[in-house]
Order: sequence, then structure tokens, then C-alpha cells
Amino acid sequence: MPFTGKSGKFNAAIRTVEIGTGDKAVKLGGENVLPFYTFDAPIENAPKIGVLITDMGLENEVAGIKDYYAGATTFAEIAKKAEEMPGADFVVLRFEGADPNGENRSVEDCVAIAKEVGDAITAPLVIEGCKNVEKDAELFSKVAEALQGKNVLILSAREENYKAVAAAAGLAYGQKVGAESAVDINLAKQLNVLIGQLGVDQANVVMNVGSAAAGYGFEYVVSTMDRVKAAALAQGDVQLQMPIMTPVADEAWNVKEAMASEADMPEWGSQEERGIDMEVETAAAVLASGSNAVILKHPTSVATISKLIKALV
Amino acid sequence: MALKGLDIFKLTPKTNCKECGSPTCMAFAMKVAQGAVELSKCPHMSEEALATLSEATAPPMKTIKVGTGEAEYTLGGETVLCRHEKTFVSKPRYAVSICSADEDIDAKLEVAKKVDYDRIGERMHVEMLYLSYCADKGVDAYVELVKKAADCGKTLVLDCTDVEAAKAALAVCKDAKPVLDGADASNYEAMSAVATEAGVVLGVRGADINELYDTTAALEKLGNKNLVLNVGTASVKDAFATTVQIRRAALKDQNRTFGYPSIVNVGALAAGDPTMQAALVSLFTVKYGSIIVMEGMDYAQALPLYGLRQNVFTDPQKPMKVEPGIYPLNGGDENSVCLTTVDFALTYFVVSGELERSGVPCNLIINDAGGLSVLTAWAAGKLSSTSVSKFIQENVEPKVKCRKLIIPGKVAVLKGDIEAKLPGWEVIVAPNEAVQLVKFLKDLQANGEI
Amino acid sequence: MAKFVTIGERLSTTAPAVNKAFSERDPEPILKRAKQQLDAGATYLDVNIGPAENDGPELMKWAVELLQGNFDNVPLALDTSNVAAIEAGISVYNRTKGKPIVNSADASGRLEYVDLAAANDAIVIALCNGEGIAKDNDERMMYMQTLMERGMEHGMDVAEDMWFDPLFLVIKGMQDKQMQVLEFIKMISDMGMKSTGGLSNNSNGMPKHIRPIMDSAMVAMAMMNGLTSAIVNPNDLRLMETIKSCDIIKNNNLYADSYLEV
Repeated sequence: MPFTGKSGKFNAAIRTVEIGTGDKAVKLGGENVLPFYTFDAPIENAPKIGVLITDMGLENEVAGIKDYYAGATTFAEIAKKAEEMPGADFVVLRFEGADPNGENRSVEDCVAIAKEVGDAITAPLVIEGCKNVEKDAELFSKVAEALQGKNVLILSAREENYKAVAAAAGLAYGQKVGAESAVDINLAKQLNVLIGQLGVDQANVVMNVGSAAAGYGFEYVVSTMDRVKAAALAQGDVQLQMPIMTPVADEAWNVKEAMASEADMPEWGSQEERGIDMEVETAAAVLASGSNAVILKHPTSVATISKLIKALV
Repeated sequence: MALKGLDIFKLTPKTNCKECGSPTCMAFAMKVAQGAVELSKCPHMSEEALATLSEATAPPMKTIKVGTGEAEYTLGGETVLCRHEKTFVSKPRYAVSICSADEDIDAKLEVAKKVDYDRIGERMHVEMLYLSYCADKGVDAYVELVKKAADCGKTLVLDCTDVEAAKAALAVCKDAKPVLDGADASNYEAMSAVATEAGVVLGVRGADINELYDTTAALEKLGNKNLVLNVGTASVKDAFATTVQIRRAALKDQNRTFGYPSIVNVGALAAGDPTMQAALVSLFTVKYGSIIVMEGMDYAQALPLYGLRQNVFTDPQKPMKVEPGIYPLNGGDENSVCLTTVDFALTYFVVSGELERSGVPCNLIINDAGGLSVLTAWAAGKLSSTSVSKFIQENVEPKVKCRKLIIPGKVAVLKGDIEAKLPGWEVIVAPNEAVQLVKFLKDLQANGEI
Repeated sequence: MAKFVTIGERLSTTAPAVNKAFSERDPEPILKRAKQQLDAGATYLDVNIGPAENDGPELMKWAVELLQGNFDNVPLALDTSNVAAIEAGISVYNRTKGKPIVNSADASGRLEYVDLAAANDAIVIALCNGEGIAKDNDERMMYMQTLMERGMEHGMDVAEDMWFDPLFLVIKGMQDKQMQVLEFIKMISDMGMKSTGGLSNNSNGMPKHIRPIMDSAMVAMAMMNGLTSAIVNPNDLRLMETIKSCDIIKNNNLYADSYLEV
């Protein structure tokens, strides 16, 4: 008697959100099963990988990343290389330097960089801010305006600035809106409701429900995503059926395991290897928990996670 | 898993004879489901129905013990598919594979021992060795490998479908309760006899999920329910599908035949690609691997992996706590500034991570705060001026000369009280968020305040 | 657990305006009432065309096509004593948003409605009642067993597609039976079965301003005991807010500050 498993296919599905334009546009979401459960029903849109570049250039990156971008000096050149990275589906430009407590790059300068990057690539573009809610609100509005027609994803609107960000990106300039909450499932839902009440079509919203590096409270990430998918698929909660995009690189490369020098931790071995494995293992775990896209930066991580996704879907 | 009245009702004779004392079979079934009446009150239940019901009340997934002494591990026994539903109980165990055909067995054994460290009170190391039998090298070579491996203090998993080789290997290691991962559709009767004779857990494999199911069912029929299920190495997709479906069938659909722990050999699924193995071991840690086999284990792979496992297998009802004490960072010594926060593991990791990023030598003082976050601990009275000053007087003053203490910004209100209770100390209030600590400390240092 | 299923009761021939619209095939009043109920959050709409002895099949087809065509295949409960009308309704019914509900079978004269639902892969509301009102829960249980066995005989997934109706009783007259009904809901729930019923029966004859209060209290207690659905007036705001709040407390729906608005 062969095994007869019950299908775990749901009646509800995650919404499909498309970012970018033309041949290289990517579709996120659309599945009616749990992550990688292709044995329940086919997954049409495999999870996607974004390659992170920042307005700070390459100076602080590890050797493997610098080597990959060797010869690229302008933002346009760096972005071009990022979109060509094997396994990459889209490019993520993060304005780390916009932080008023840091470099405090002006909004005008940021817009110029965004335009330079946007014009250089044909892959979809995702814009990340500096996490300062006031600065991001202004920055995102101006960038969304400058990149009209490119269908970029603005990552992201938060509880404190969603009105300005979602209204500009989602209503005025026709871009996709990211809704960000920090491992708080009730807020994740509420933010989606509020953005919807502004008039933004929910088919234009992607969620970032929060992330952590493996070992750093990652249980909250797993449970948040488990519960989001359960609500979206099993309970058919339309307010949580947005695809999820998770920035992994920032978290992964900023923990001790990835930052401690070989001089300080000789038994731990290569620092770059540690960073890659932290990025890869965190990415695999968030994909297994329900992310429809991850943001990575090291070429080896991108290649490996791409291989993992291809092997599973 | 409580039985639903409907499941019981389906097994009743449905004659409404009232001999059980209930007016209808359905009412009877419902009372049984609630535990109000014994099933035996019904004189007309068939033997088959009674057997089905007793089977149905057994736990959905068996708890399997392997190894002995310090290397004894519990696998399986899970009751939920997601950790938030209740908790996961048995964390996956990691194994390194070695084959009797390998040239460098000693070196590989050393590799398997290399990673060994402590993280929040838990020893992190490779717990098992997965020893593969190579027919070309013969039984003796395998027995030699097993003997060598047996001295490592790790639980052995014998990857061996040859009955005679398995017998010979078990002869030298069975007392340490290894796993014999060797039953398949062609040999399961003999293998089961060997495993039962030696008193060890038997691993089952199949060409696909159906053969695995049939062989497992056949072994159960032989009376062997001390099993683990090898999900195979046909492909990543197949191994993942099998692992998930086994667990789901057991826990969600009460299919007892699949109610066993799993073995996943990611080393074989991504041979020669350690980074891909890192991705896979992470995937199977989140989704239902019980014994996960890799080709090796270095610190780069291990550091995120063991952290991930520790996180995912934390009981959601019990926060992870750090031991109270003084944690010097960046070469902090008796003259370095002190900072304090709560013992909630996540807070500790975030704060210590930021402090390390600042590069400023310091001492992080952790006191017992019930494993709660800063504001929660404060509200619950577990982070108070009394608790902080008492801990500092008893544990810090004898060891540290510096008399500057930085407290979390969220409990700035404690500043005055702590200063009153700790004569000679200057209390500095930190910013509200840990991420602001780097700049804060660097500024203090630049201004010569610390 | 799945969210509580509300079945809007306002498309009923017992309302003179609806009766007139049905008999004249006048879409406007029907669509208006349907929209009001859907806007208020009804999941299913009950379509009660009465006995419709002359033109039942044709009327039911008209109503199903009218409502599903205008409201994105809204799922419907087909409510009439005319079996042919139900069959006709199902023949044009679109299942995209949910199976049709046959309203309703009971354990005596309307037992064959179970067969009808089974034959058409529909959900059936199974009223745990025979002739007259059941004297106690043992008797209700007997009716439930009869209905369930009938469903099993015809191959129904009884745990999914039979929604048992305990028959809500009017408080003004049968106040002492209310806890019995609630206990029976608990029994249905403990069996792992689904339940529904005409909730507002309980407040029949009460002053208009009392009814929403009494209905809300009843639905909260019934949901506590495992009621999974009810036939209600979705335009009773207090009742709908109570149901939404109970769904939150029961963890059937994820809380967000705006939960009442969505």
C-alpha cells in the first residue's frame, strides 16, 4: 500500500506582485502552499534574490566582494555588475549614507545616485533607506518621483512614516510599496490595513516583517513568518497575503561571527567564510520560513542560495 | 492528540442499543471523547475497533533514544509542526560522514572534533559520526573505522546495508547504542533481526517515499518500532519533500507509520560544496531534520548553525537567559567602564554585539532579571535600583576598580536611586536603543569621560 | 480555526419588499439588500424564495445568476422547501468562492435534503430536530445521528459539509431551554463537527432596541461553545462587532488595531 499523503494546498494564495519592467521584471509570491512545498502544488514564482549595493561604495566590503566589483568605480558600473552577478534577480540600493547621524547625504545627492543606478540597469530596483524615519520619508518620496515608470519597490514604509511613504510611492508615483514591521505580526497586519486605507492597491504591497541573523533571536523571525503564512493561507486573511522580502545581508554581516577578525579569533578561521556562511544560513532559514525574496551581497552567497532555490522549486 | 467524537462514533456499532447507558451511539462516542465514559462500557466494540482506538491515542511521533551516557540523545517526540503552536522538543543532531574507503580517516575524525564551544550554557559540537560502509574495502576495514570512531565520544550512525558488515560493526560498538542505518526493501527482515539482537535503533531507507513507507510498515509488522527514517539522497527536492511529508503525515494526519525521526544526508546531497551544505543544513534545521549529516564542520558553518538551532528549539514559553556575571569586552579590565543590562539572551546579544562594534574596552554586567527585556523586567521589579546595586556591591566592587556605570536609557529613572545606593559610583544613562551605543561610547571616549 | 461564517438572512420572502421583488423579478431591491449585507461583512447570503410552488426552479436560477453575476460569485445558501428549485439553483451556481449551502435538512420530513446535498457536492444545514421541538439533548443527539448516518451513507464529508443546527429557541417562552441549546452546540463542537443556526430566533418578540444586545450575548456564548456559523442580520452592527471580536479572542483571526474595519 503506497503512502497517501494529504495535500497541504490551500484555497487562498499569496498575491503576485511584480517589480521592474520589461523582460527582467520579477514576480514575487503567487503560491498557495507553504515555502518550497512543491509536492502540494506547483510554485510558479520561485523565491527571488536581490543584490545589495549601497551609496557608501565598496570601501568597507570584504575582499571577495571588492574582487567581484573590481574595475567598477561609479555607481552605474557597480550597479551593472550587481545585476550581472550570477543568481541575481534584482538590485537593491541602500542609502546608508543618508543617515543624519552619519554621513548625512542630502536628498538631492541620493536622488542623483538613484537615477544613475536606475538608468544603468534593466533589472528591477529596490530602494532601501537609512532607517531614520523622517529622512527616509523625504528621501523615498523624491526617489519614487525621480524613478517614475521603473516600477521600483520602496523598502519601506514604517508605522511612523507610512502615510508619506505609501502615499508618494504607491499613489503619486505608481511604485511598489514595502511595509516594514519588526517581528510584530499584529503591527504587520495593521500596517497593511492602514496602507490599504490610504488607497494603495494591496496588490502593490510587499512586506518586510523583520529579520535577524541566525542565533540572534531568529526564533521570532521563524514564528512571525510561520504565523503570517498560516493567517494568509489557512485563514485566508487578505491583509497578510502580501509577499515577503527579507533583507539578510545587513543583519548577517553585522554580527560578531562575521565581524571578528582572524587575529582576535584565530580558531574561527577565515572571516570572509564566516560572513558568507552567516549570510547563506540565515537566507536559507528565512526562505524556509516563508520569504519570497532575500537581499544578499556576497557573490558566493548569491550563487549558493540561487542553487538552493533551483534545487527546491 | 485527543480523539474526536466522530472518530469514535465511526467505530461504534451504531445500533443505539442503549446497553452502555447512553441513549445513542453518538452520545456514547462523545462521552468517551471527553473522557467521561470508558470505551469498555460498550459490549459491542469489535477487536479491530479497540485496536484502532488504542493506536489512535498513542503519541503521533515516537521518541527515539540513541547513544549512551553524555552522548545519549533524544530524537523525535514532536507534537506540532510550528514552534509557536507549542514548542519543539528534540533538536536536530549534526553528524559528520566518514567512509571506510576514505584515505584520511584520522584527519576526518579530527575535523569532526574541531568545533566545540559553549553558547549560552549549551555545548556546541558535532554530536554524531555517520560511518559509511564501502563493500570494496571489506568488512574488516569497516570494523576498523568503527573502532576508531567509537573513541571520539560521539554517537555512531552506521550507514551499512550489508547484513554481515553490520553484524561485525555492531559487535564492537553496540553497547554505545549506535544507529544502524541499513534497512531497505531487500534486506529489512535480516537487518531488523540484527538491530533487535543488538538492541539498537534501525534506520530505514527506500528508493522513494512509497518504498520507504512500505518498508517501514513491514518493519512495524515485524514488531520493530525502534526506527529512524532516512529520507534518501535522490535529490534535494526529493529529500525535502520526503522530510516534510513524513513529519506532516505523522503530526497532522495521525499516520503512525511515519511517526519517526528523520536522517538527512546533506553531505551526499551537495558533495564537495560546503557552502551549499551550509544552506541545506539550515533548511533542514528549520524543517524537520532529526539527524543531519555533513561532510565536515568548520566554525564558519557551525557558528550560524548552532545559533539557529538554539533559537528555533527554544521553548516559546521560556525565554533564553544568559548567566549572571561580568563579561569583559574588547579587552576590558578592572579599570574599564561598566555597563549593565538584563539577562534576556536576545538583549544580551544585541547589546554585546554593539559594544564589540564600538571597540571600547568595557565590562558588561549581567544580573538575574528573570530573562525579561529591559522594560518588562523593570515593570516586574526584576531590574531595580536595589537589584543593580546589590549585585554590584557583591560581585563587581571586589573585582573592578572603575566606578562608572552605564545603565539602559529605557530605565533612566533608576539613575538617582542607584547613585544613592552605590556611594562612589557615577551613573551614566545610555541611549534608548542598542544601535546608538557605538556612537555613544565613542563620544564618551573621545571626551575623556571613560 | 477558521473564521466564523456569517450567512446574511435579509433576502427572504418573509420581508414583503423582497417577496414582491422576487415575484416581479425586479433586481433593484434584491441587489440593494445584497450589497448592504456584503458591505457589512456577510460571508454567505441566504436566498429564501419561500415555497415557490409554481416557478421555483426558474426563480432560484434567476436569483443565483443575479447575485453571483453582480457580486463576484458570492457564495449562497439556497433556502426553499422546493427541492427542484434548489437543484435548479445549483445547476447554475459558480463554486469559486465556496460551495452552495442547502438550507435545510431535518431528521424527519426533510431528511432527503441530505441526499440532495450529497448528490450535488453541496453543504447542508442539518437541523437536529424532528417533529415538534426536541425535549432534551439526548433527543437532539438522536436526530443528529440520523442525519449524520444519512450523510455518511451518501459519502458526504460529514465533518466539513454537514453544518448542524441546534435550533435556537425563543427566550420569551423558552427561557429555561437556552442553556440546553448552548450545551448541545458544545456537544457538536466536541464531536469535531460544524454548526450553524438562525441566531435571532432567540430574541424573537423582544423590543427592537433589545434584540441586537441579546443576539450579541447569545452569539458570544455560542461561539465560546464552538458555534462555527450563524444565519444573522449582518446589518446589525453590534452583532457583527461582537462576532469579529469573538473571532479575535478565539484566535480565528489575527488581531490588528483596525480589525473591526476589515
